[in-house]
Amino acid sequence: MTTAIRNLTFTYPNQEHPVLADLSATFPDGSFNLLTGPSGGGKSTLLKLIAGLLPLPTGSQITLAGQALQELPATQRASQVAMLFQEPSTQFTMDTVLDELRFALENQQIPAAEMPAKIAAALDFVGITSLKNRHLTHLSGGEQQKVALAVIVAMDSKVILLDEPFASIDPAARLDLLQNLVQLSQAHSKTIILADHDLSFYERWIDHLSVLEAGHLTTLSPEATQQRLAIFSAPQRQLTHVTLPDRQLPVILQGQDLGLRQGTRQLINPQDLSLFAHQITLITGPNGSGKSTLLRALVRLTDYQGTLTYDGINIQKRRRKAYARQVALMFQSASAQFLNVTVAEEIALSHKYGRQTYFTPERVDQLLAQLNLTQQRDQIIYTLSGGQQKKVQLLCMLMMAPQVLLLDEPLKGLDYDSIQTVLSILKTVQHDLQLTLIMISHQLSGLDGFVTLHLQLADCQLRYQEADQ
Amino acid sequence: MKNWHLRDIILVTILAIFMGVIFWALNPVYTLLAAALAPLGLQPLANEILLGVWVMAGPLAGFIIRIPGAATLGEFLGAVVEMFLGGIWGASTLISGAIQGLGAEIGFAATGYKRFGWGTLALSTLTTTIVTFAWDLLRSGYATYHLNFLLLLFVVRLLSVFFFGGVLTKLIANLLIRAHVLPTTNR
Amino acid sequence: MNPTIKLSLVILIAFEISFTQVWTVNLALLIVSLLLMIYAHVSLKRLLWLTAVPLFFASALVWSLKLQGSTTPHFLGVIFTRIFVYVYLGGWFSQTTQPLALARSLEQNAKLPAKFAYGFLAAFNLMPKIQAEVATIKAAALMRGQVLHIWSPQLYFKVILAAMNWSDQLAAAMTSHGFVEGAPRTYATTIPLRHRDWWLLGLSLLLVQLGLFCGLP
Ligand SMILES: Nc1ncnc2c1ncn2[C@@H]1O[C@H](COP(=O)(O)OP(=O)(O)OP(=O)(O)O)[C@@H](O)[C@H]1O
Ligand SMILES: Nc1ncnc2c1ncn2[C@@H]1O[C@H](COP(=O)(O)OP(=O)(O)OP(=O)(O)O)[C@@H](O)[C@H]1O
Ligand SMILES: [Mg+2]
Ligand SMILES: [Mg+2]
Repeated sequence: MTTAIRNLTFTYPNQEHPVLADLSATFPDGSFNLLTGPSGGGKSTLLKLIAGLLPLPTGSQITLAGQALQELPATQRASQVAMLFQEPSTQFTMDTVLDELRFALENQQIPAAEMPAKIAAALDFVGITSLKNRHLTHLSGGEQQKVALAVIVAMDSKVILLDEPFASIDPAARLDLLQNLVQLSQAHSKTIILADHDLSFYERWIDHLSVLEAGHLTTLSPEATQQRLAIFSAPQRQLTHVTLPDRQLPVILQGQDLGLRQGTRQLINPQDLSLFAHQITLITGPNGSGKSTLLRALVRLTDYQGTLTYDGINIQKRRRKAYARQVALMFQSASAQFLNVTVAEEIALSHKYGRQTYFTPERVDQLLAQLNLTQQRDQIIYTLSGGQQKKVQLLCMLMMAPQVLLLDEPLKGLDYDSIQTVLSILKTVQHDLQLTLIMISHQLSGLDGFVTLHLQLADCQLRYQEADQ
Repeated sequence: MKNWHLRDIILVTILAIFMGVIFWALNPVYTLLAAALAPLGLQPLANEILLGVWVMAGPLAGFIIRIPGAATLGEFLGAVVEMFLGGIWGASTLISGAIQGLGAEIGFAATGYKRFGWGTLALSTLTTTIVTFAWDLLRSGYATYHLNFLLLLFVVRLLSVFFFGGVLTKLIANLLIRAHVLPTTNR
Repeated sequence: MNPTIKLSLVILIAFEISFTQVWTVNLALLIVSLLLMIYAHVSLKRLLWLTAVPLFFASALVWSLKLQGSTTPHFLGVIFTRIFVYVYLGGWFSQTTQPLALARSLEQNAKLPAKFAYGFLAAFNLMPKIQAEVATIKAAALMRGQVLHIWSPQLYFKVILAAMNWSDQLAAAMTSHGFVEGAPRTYATTIPLRHRDWWLLGLSLLLVQLGLFCGLP
């Protein structure tokens, strides 16, 4: 009894080339399979097909734990296969954790009397019994992913699909979830297929690493697997080049008694905070600690306690429009930042208002080529893959060249090669134009030598960190 | 004819909430406008000027979802949102929401939810204005206004609905069609 | 009270008083709704807000009708109290009804297809995210050098794209959690529809009819 794919060819409607071409693969029951590959390679498409969220083309075959997907009645599909999505906040129907679990069990027509036991067991398995009555919208991204996993555990699905489930999850929560998954596959014989770009932490756990590229799936040999994983090993995640800020460094943004609250919860206790000009500062901290909220406060999108000054002047006293050109935020969701339809139009807009003397048409062409986007110039932005959108967004924001550019998880969803390119472009432009970059990132591989300062948010306190040994 | 699927139902609701939120952000403008016009007894004009924004949810939903009932449902759900946010018309927004939606719906229904061009939009603009105005004649006592003032109110409302529900909706639809998220059957 | 019955009652009364002109009944209704809200422990702040807003708009409308129209003081009184009834009834309903209970009741008692009940609910639970998104879209545009106004097509374009995106994700997630359109489901909690609810609805409506048609001013 295995999960198998036979001769799967899939083309999106109105597209010329197939995303998946005659793909075949086998996943034994109780195996833990990791899927990687370049952005736009078709990982999400493959998972959606297995989950039955996209119609299966004729001639292609998928069997789930021995049962053909086509012959499976819709009402029984969830007990065979369940999916955990990349975006934590848009995968719930109900208001609280308990209600969401009930909702899933109602769909499976479980009698009400049997629900409490199943719910308690699932919550206990994932270790989130204390969250039972919490509102889903009040949970951090990592906690939301744990709830989604608990739902799958309660539904007792045999095959579990995960599409970049850790993309916005901090390392600690990631390790937690990963251990839950391994336990599920080993103790309960669930088949797990997980797609990810960031291969950190997997070395001890996975059975197979497969690469999905140009429509084909290749399973790597154990040696090749270890080689791939080595790029993301623990030493690669250390920051050995950061320093504590020097007193001499010029300050660009200054908070006095700066505090942040969300509802009744204090995220950051009032403290003085200096952010330094012409530096590349990395902000880290657990999920839900308030990193994004801090960046939103810096661009006046949320209220805060205390005062914030930019270049010595209170940011509340500055004109909103002018300030937006001095201190700009690259948002987590790429599509929020686009205003037009095609890539070329977006670049034209940034050219119109941005730093034209530096970003000459020649330089922009060169950057597009570096980012592998030359072919995409006239493409509609919203048909690009997630990684490609992220790269266009970055280019557009760099062309605006604000004095301070805040970046909220700019590397999320990018493959390893793209990350290297993006970091080198960021470094060059930052150096040439003497910009200040402040970025949030959960993924640390490749950042050593790039960032100059490391600010950590823990226990409601922001502190600059020394280099790792 | 298309049927309502889960995704359409969620989409129409999210759209309605978005429109409710945008309209809500306009509240200070509305209040200031109303306060400025009130001493002259012209407060309803504030209503008429901004009404177009409020009834936009109907034609937008009709345009995007293209299922019979979409316009009505979009507008009605917008009203539910407004009531939960604590709107100034309370329970009656539910009824006016349904009525405003029906107004837009007639325009789309007249063309069988098949044509999505200027003609349909202009028709939907007109039906929305007439139907909602008739409702205000009853609910807000407009029927007792002098004829001239009543005409003024009607014309302002028609212009507002035409601009927001017609011209602006068409511009938005054009963007959506260019972005390939709406079908191009737009004659 | 059963949420579906409560909703029907509120809509029926609001509809009826839109066509009738008995200010005493309006007054009685607004007092009853106010008492119901106080009984349900609606916060004082909320009550003040629910009073101040209609006070301003009702006064402005009445003043406008007086200046620009030909009408009787009786009619002005009707309009003035009518607006208060609308707001208080709406306030009572929205402050004492959980969206989840309403969705469940509509599914179980009113036999609304589950896809509607839970489709609405899933979207409503996204409300905080939706509210934040509008501010985000405006700020993101500002950082690209463009100001988005209420009349800018781009504002709505972005909003619609976000809505489409999220509805795709939510629908996929609901499917993945086992929801199938039209399939039978069990209920974790049953929303009771008691005889008492029907009696309350009938009696309330009867009382309103008596008031409206027995010749009160
Ligand atoms: N709805 C769609 N219509 C047309 N093309 C699509 C659609 N969804 C995805 N594609 C295209 O299919 C290809 C594969 O996309 P997919 O999202 O599966 O890639 P991925 O491997 O998951 O990428 P990423 O790592 O960036 O998430 C991409 O080139 C993408 O542009
Ligand atoms: N609109 C909102 N309403 C209520 N709570 C919110 C809202 N936005 C954020 N929060 C809460 O505020 C806290 C801080 O959120 P924030 O997004 O700043 O965290 P973060 O450090 O960026 O986390 P992550 O690493 O997951 O991105 C979280 O617990 C979150 O649930
Ligand atoms: Mg993907
Ligand atoms: Mg964040």
